[in-house]
Amino acid sequence: MAGAATSNRQRSKIAPYLMILPALVYLGIFFVVPFYSLARTSLSSSGGSVYLPTLDFNWDFANYFEAFSHYQDQIIRSFVYATTATLLCLLLAFPLAYVIAFKAGRYKNLILGLVILPFFVTFLIRTIAWKTILADDGWVVGALGSIGLLPSEGRLLSTSWAVIGGLTYNWIIFMILPLYVSLEKIDPRLIEASKDLYSTNRRSFTKVILPLAMPGVLAGSLLVFIPASGDFINADYLGSTQTTMIGNVIQKQFLVVKDYPAAAALSMVLMLIILVGVLLYTRALGTEDLV
Amino acid sequence: MPPNEFDRQLLNRLVANRTSRRRFIGGGAAAAAALAMGGSFLAACSSDNKSATGGTTSTQEGPASGTLRISNWPLYMADGFVADFQKATGITVDYKEDLNDNEQWFAKVKEPLSRKQDIGADLAVPTTFMAVRLHGLGWLNDLGDIPNKKNIRQDLLEASVDPGRKFSAPYMSGMVGLAYNKAATKRDITKIDDLWDPAFKGRVSLFSDAQDGLGMIMMSQGNSIENSSMETVQKAIDLVKEQKEKGQIRRFTGNDYADDLASGNVAIAQAYSGDVVQLQADNPDLHFVVPESGGTTFVDTMVIPYTTQNQKAAEAWINYVYDRPNYAKLIAHTQYVPVLSDMTDELNKIDPKLASNPLINPSKETLAKLKGWPALTDEQTKQYNDAYAAVTGG
Repeated sequence: MAGAATSNRQRSKIAPYLMILPALVYLGIFFVVPFYSLARTSLSSSGGSVYLPTLDFNWDFANYFEAFSHYQDQIIRSFVYATTATLLCLLLAFPLAYVIAFKAGRYKNLILGLVILPFFVTFLIRTIAWKTILADDGWVVGALGSIGLLPSEGRLLSTSWAVIGGLTYNWIIFMILPLYVSLEKIDPRLIEASKDLYSTNRRSFTKVILPLAMPGVLAGSLLVFIPASGDFINADYLGSTQTTMIGNVIQKQFLVVKDYPAAAALSMVLMLIILVGVLLYTRALGTEDLV
Repeated sequence: MPPNEFDRQLLNRLVANRTSRRRFIGGGAAAAAALAMGGSFLAACSSDNKSATGGTTSTQEGPASGTLRISNWPLYMADGFVADFQKATGITVDYKEDLNDNEQWFAKVKEPLSRKQDIGADLAVPTTFMAVRLHGLGWLNDLGDIPNKKNIRQDLLEASVDPGRKFSAPYMSGMVGLAYNKAATKRDITKIDDLWDPAFKGRVSLFSDAQDGLGMIMMSQGNSIENSSMETVQKAIDLVKEQKEKGQIRRFTGNDYADDLASGNVAIAQAYSGDVVQLQADNPDLHFVVPESGGTTFVDTMVIPYTTQNQKAAEAWINYVYDRPNYAKLIAHTQYVPVLSDMTDELNKIDPKLASNPLINPSKETLAKLKGWPALTDEQTKQYNDAYAAVTGG
């Protein structure tokens, strides 16, 4: 009897490790190895022939300085666009998530379904569709033009606003869903209690609902901000030559110029900035756990 | 009608509803980009495995047989052509339209080719500069005995990039010029300076490819592309940069300029001759013109990678393509300029209008304004590309 109990206990100690093993192996192969390769490439210099350059790993930090000095405009622009898109997502998604969580009643699943529905269509097709909608001769531009709301360029497509709009549109679901989940978890009795204590609607929102929804806000903004800052599809299709984001530069460096060290250094810079930004943001919001 | 404009109605009728091969939706391009990036990435991650698994070049005697795998551009083929070839030769063809962009294709195949590993194609159709690059890297087989090679146009047969056509067999040639939407420009476009007209601010698109994009601009600055130097190229790049910073240039495009042009977002675009024919079918306001100061030509060529598994069948294919009646069928579909000489009779047999189409059979005046890039050294190509990419990519 005693022996069996020990082996049970031993097995239960090993079990968690066994359970995370597949994920660890997966991460090892598909994250750690490529990351190592990327980091190494970013610190290499290429030499040898023009089309088959050899990469020599020699702690070439100059790649980083060059990446930053040549492309700081694009880096800054990427973060401005991504931040704006994240704020827009938050503003648009919060009321919607709130309505789904508290007011939708029996239509809750229907509305959630409608939110998810567009995402059955591939990202590329949806982005290209916006090209048609925002075309210079399209009705949107015509309507906005007649009420004098067009940006200074006199068009919508190929402007910063089109790119930010595309980013907002493409990533908003990653804001709606975490917000919905954290709002849904709020016990309505807490809101009732606040009302019983003579709180105004506004105060119940700022003192009860918003703090409890904070994990959703945090998770949502990270899920939007991180992919949006590295995105290149929206700037490619909806932008112009003056809205290039850092993702476009990296793509071009990898595929056209084929300067792998520069491209890798840019990718690392992007990652580092995102990482620092996320750490500061998480600390500022003071949320220990995500969702 | 200005001498360099092409009869729209005739062209409309010729193309019916076909899409030209240089026009493809961006989705395909991006997917190809993702694939190419994934491929080179994985290749970059793998160890320094230099063991060659190639060396499977077919050396069989007798007539060609077996399977032939062809990589070509989308919609660059006539209906029934492949089937006819299979019937005539008994060779099975695995025909793929997986060539969308020279540089991205190169990014995808360079790792396997550098290890002499199969790239899934026994014959591919890159543009001349890419064929020259592959040849320089030693990745192409020489073309064997191809009797119909004598049908190639003399200028192409003797071209400085490959005199005698030892490793690259021309497939189609075409013009790089300007396409414009007359509904947007309200006037005829004749010269490069029209691109910089403030009236078209933000409604101009240029090619991001250095040779196709810069060639005609260099010529408008009085420089020759036949003996280019970094200075003359840089002068053109500086002009593009200045215009970009002014907001004149809306986009740097690959072959995806067509949609913006057709929808009216772009008023003037650098364009390939064949595309405009297709677009005119939907939009009669579109015109193609070779700029007064001159335009460039491109030639796509059939090459046999040194990893081919069926050299003989590839040669049989080239020979079949170079048979004039067969080639006329291709031209009737692609609308590009023939690479074979004396095509008039064969084209007349299919449709008398084909041979008189100035897009297929450019006039002497047009031809005089067209120049082709000569073979550049690897260093030159890389220098030019990188200098231009610094403007187009940032």
